[in-house]
Amino acid sequence: MTTEHQDKLSADAAKLATGISPKRDLWPDIEASITATTAPAGRRWTPYFAQAAAVVLLIGASSAVTYMLTKTDPGLSPVATNGGLLLESASWGGEYELSSDYKLARSDLQSQLGIELARLSPDARAEVEQNLKVIRDAIGEINAALKQEPDNVLLQELLLNTYREELAVMQKIGGLTQNVMSRNDI
Amino acid sequence: MAALLTAAGSDYSQHMVAATQPSAGEEAACIRRAQQSDTRAFEELYRMHVDKVYGLCLRMTGNVSEAEDCVQEAFIQAWNKLSKFRGDSAFGTWMHRIAVNAVLGRMRKSKREQDRIQAAAEISPAPASFEDSGNLRDLSNAVDRLPEGARHVFVLSGIYGYSHEEASKMLGIAVGTSKAQLHRARRLLAQQLKDEGYEA
Repeated sequence: MTTEHQDKLSADAAKLATGISPKRDLWPDIEASITATTAPAGRRWTPYFAQAAAVVLLIGASSAVTYMLTKTDPGLSPVATNGGLLLESASWGGEYELSSDYKLARSDLQSQLGIELARLSPDARAEVEQNLKVIRDAIGEINAALKQEPDNVLLQELLLNTYREELAVMQKIGGLTQNVMSRNDI
Repeated sequence: MAALLTAAGSDYSQHMVAATQPSAGEEAACIRRAQQSDTRAFEELYRMHVDKVYGLCLRMTGNVSEAEDCVQEAFIQAWNKLSKFRGDSAFGTWMHRIAVNAVLGRMRKSKREQDRIQAAAEISPAPASFEDSGNLRDLSNAVDRLPEGARHVFVLSGIYGYSHEEASKMLGIAVGTSKAQLHRARRLLAQQLKDEGYEA
């Protein structure tokens, strides 16, 4: 085949129809299939969501380690109860701003945290700091996920529980006696 | 390809393409609504893109019923993955990638399934071609007779205008393989068309 033939072949190939109408309407079958699925497309198990859930699992493990450390360290104050840490349904809608009361309580705990951490052994202190970092990283990641899906109730609940975990860890370190603030306070 | 409508160059094909070309704004709005689980918006996206997706599936499979199944599978997968679409590529290109995967997935099925497909191809009626077929119809029929690998590359690169990089990604092959298959496709087409009196 000559170059001329090759050029004509290429030119003719580019002219072949790219859009061809199906002989029948394929939409009804597609619609039946996508409406049969219980979870709509926008509410699937997204990577963000999976990542956030995985981090929360990690937080659980971290909190357990923190509990063991604080429980066995003789220099610590008594551990506060977790009476306020009940799982409740979140219903924030598109809003998930924290209240000023919650922010104030968190700030108070944070200011005492440095003092209390100094009482721990270097190893225990490093462990607690690492655990708090995991929780705070998780808060950042869940917030990022919520920006993608602001009305995702499960993500809201994960965020709520993660904030609680952070408060609980700080309470344990600080030896405070009040319960972690309930969801309604937040 | 006996099962293809070689409508290129006709007034009908021009009209058909124009009728399914949405504005970028309309398409983007439909995508956003569909991502919020609006099935009506997704239907609009389907109407906008079905011809291009069906055309690709039909040229790759060479079979009407298989192409229809692939189109349905592709749009169902697109609905399931829609939340992941970020607009890094055009929606049509994204749909083409999903459609190619649907075609390849079906072709990788068992030998028994391949036999069934072959049987379906034999009984599937070929749609009527248009008046102005001529050389284009000969070319279309010749493409249909290409071996699978060469046909897939020729359809993506030669007809749909994808680069070798894009086509190789879609097909899961090396860029060099894509180039070699295109060369092979052209050589085989040239031989077939020469036998049929194709005019340069």
